[in-house]
Amino acid sequence: MSNAGIYLRRRLVNVIALLFGGFATVLGLIFLVWILWVTISNGLSAIHPRLFTKITAYADQGGLANAIVGSLLMDMMALLICAPIGVLAGTYLAEYANRSKLGASIRFLNDILLSAPSIVMGLFVYVIIVLPMSNLTHGNISFSGFAGAVALALIGLPVIVRTTDEMLQLVPGTLREAALSLGVPQWKLTVQVLIRAASSGILTGVLLALARLAGETAPLLFTAFGNNFMTVHPLDKMASLPVAIYQYTNDPSPAMHSIAWAGALLITLFVLALSLLTRLLFSRKKVSYE
Amino acid sequence: MNDLAAAVAAPLASVDGRTKIKVRDVHFYYNGFHALKGVSMDIPEKQVTAIIGPSGCGKSTLLRIFNRIYAIYPKLEAKGSIELDGENILDPGYSMNRLRSKVGMVFQKPVPFPMTIFENVAYGIRHHEKLSKSDMESRVEQALRSSALWDEVKDKLKQNALGLSGGQQQRLCIARAIALKPEVLLLDEPTSALDPIATSRIEQLVEELKSEFTIVIVTHNMQQAARVSDYTAFMYIGELIEFGNTEKIFTKPDKKQTEDYITGRFG
Amino acid sequence: MSGTDKDHIIKSYDSELARLTGEIVRMGELSVTQLEAAIDVLDRRDERAAQRVVGNDDAIDQLEQEISHDVVRLLALRAPMAGDLRNVFAALRIAADIERIGDYAANVAKRSIPLSMVAPVGPVGGLGYLAELAATGVREVLLAYRDRDAERAYQVWKDDVVLDEAYTGYFRQLLTYMMEDPRNITPCTHLLFMAKNIERIGDHATNIAENVWFQVTGEQLNKQRSKRDLTSSPDMSRLGDKPE
Repeated sequence: MSNAGIYLRRRLVNVIALLFGGFATVLGLIFLVWILWVTISNGLSAIHPRLFTKITAYADQGGLANAIVGSLLMDMMALLICAPIGVLAGTYLAEYANRSKLGASIRFLNDILLSAPSIVMGLFVYVIIVLPMSNLTHGNISFSGFAGAVALALIGLPVIVRTTDEMLQLVPGTLREAALSLGVPQWKLTVQVLIRAASSGILTGVLLALARLAGETAPLLFTAFGNNFMTVHPLDKMASLPVAIYQYTNDPSPAMHSIAWAGALLITLFVLALSLLTRLLFSRKKVSYE
Repeated sequence: MNDLAAAVAAPLASVDGRTKIKVRDVHFYYNGFHALKGVSMDIPEKQVTAIIGPSGCGKSTLLRIFNRIYAIYPKLEAKGSIELDGENILDPGYSMNRLRSKVGMVFQKPVPFPMTIFENVAYGIRHHEKLSKSDMESRVEQALRSSALWDEVKDKLKQNALGLSGGQQQRLCIARAIALKPEVLLLDEPTSALDPIATSRIEQLVEELKSEFTIVIVTHNMQQAARVSDYTAFMYIGELIEFGNTEKIFTKPDKKQTEDYITGRFG
Repeated sequence: MSGTDKDHIIKSYDSELARLTGEIVRMGELSVTQLEAAIDVLDRRDERAAQRVVGNDDAIDQLEQEISHDVVRLLALRAPMAGDLRNVFAALRIAADIERIGDYAANVAKRSIPLSMVAPVGPVGGLGYLAELAATGVREVLLAYRDRDAERAYQVWKDDVVLDEAYTGYFRQLLTYMMEDPRNITPCTHLLFMAKNIERIGDHATNIAENVWFQVTGEQLNKQRSKRDLTSSPDMSRLGDKPE
């Protein structure tokens, strides 16, 4: 075959590959924009100050105040539970168990946890917290915001373990050697040098975990259950945005639907804000160890 | 031909001056691989000793035994003896803290800690000594002056060290190592990531530092070994082939393997 | 023990070094040819041929320029080490010696011109013997250089004594001629200078031998060599010979 023939064929293959790739991208984008568009157009029209002041008990005359507070409360509690455990576990994996068989198996299990269906977490927490609590207190305390937070923490934990582990592994080995060659002990090196070097990456992981668990509905169904009244007590049944949305969309009333849309928009905006924050963190504090 | 057969240097070339590190029959294994096969040499005090050789010859491995940094990885084992001022540092009884305060190391890539310039230098000192604020400041200044960095950073000591250029970062790493007032300074290909100007600065620095420290430098760059060192060791596949005066090694090495390597005939 | 039979990893480095050796050998052969030609024109009393020999010296100078250039280039671009460094360094020095040999040969040819204008004198033939010894020395040392043969170079270095002795003998012979007949003084003075030139050629051959020795062994050739050129000893210098 002549050179011209080869070049022609390559150009042709290139054009075809470009067409397929472009088509797939456009297809994906169309749905993404569509989802956003539907959420924004439906949600925006339903945004009303009432949403932030009134509770769900007033139904279509009410708002989402208790759900917003409940969500924020449970998300924060979940983060308080899973962030320290996740960062420490990730540090253990990267710094102490990096080359061991134990480390490899923990990593494997963590990956399974990462992709486990979230409803399973809800059921698990229902069995280990909600039921025993109920039995202990003779039904006084059963579903609770605390149980919901634990379920959410189980969703966030593997994300944080994974990112912490990976971010620490990105820190160059010579940084470890440099510190150790100064006689600095391993724990000081880990806390004062490595975690600092990987701090922006680790924080990003924590925020990503938060974004992930903020949108979860399934784990809350059997744990926090939902509540039409405002509460900040962690052992009460607690409302949350995703559960409220889920319940409102099951209602035949269009007014309830539009409140659900507004709730969906609020979660979307929250996640968007978190993403922007992580981007900002990552771009501003660049770690320059290539 | 009797003149041609000039004395073949014994593996233990004698060196002028006091011996700082006495390496005797050192073997090194990792994961069962025999990486060093009985290396013996005398590293003279307050001189620059260069270790050259092709990749995988064991030169970095040897350097990393001098401060036992290899010990942070599992399945590595060193045998034989390395005497620093007469004491065997491979002896498990030799305190790691003591060894690392005596033997400083600078690595191939400049790796400042994610802290301010000042903290980078002060960090190691804090672990070994309790100094007052003013003592610490003068100690840091002294280290930065010795590493020829002071004038460039004195106005930005509170800035993040990662903002420095590669050459400055490497000099900061040298400052960090010499701030502990070590006796031996190990340099593991310290300029391989730097441009020629930054490289010259480091080489000049090595020349200045040798009045205070015993320096061992591993380098891929033979010209660099020729420029900065007083003694040169040539290693090949885990063995010390030749050790001697740098001028001799680069004008008339005794061993054919050495000659082949430094004239670019290896293969 | 020194040097090596292996090629460089960079092939063009080898060819550049080989080229340098080739240039030196060619330059050396040219200088020997010049010396022999100078003696030839002396014997034939051919003035025009002598002019040609003098003119040919430019070719040797030209070669020396090229070698200097090559050496500088090799030093700058290849940064030769160990054996290669000695090789390049020796080449530069050997080229300088050969250039001087060429100059002396041209001098001999130049002085043959005034000689051809006067009646032939007896001792002219003796000069040929000196030249033969010198030419053999230069040829031998060139072979030693080409083959990196230190022992052969050492032989040349030792054998220079023979040329020195022959020169001393010739010197005496010329003095005798000049004392016999003052009319011989002009041609014999010329012959004296020519003989001195040839003796110097021998010295340069020993220089080359020393450089070959250094190149191969990395050491200086520092053995005590018996000096047999006695023309500068007191009883001779009384007669007016000023050693260079």
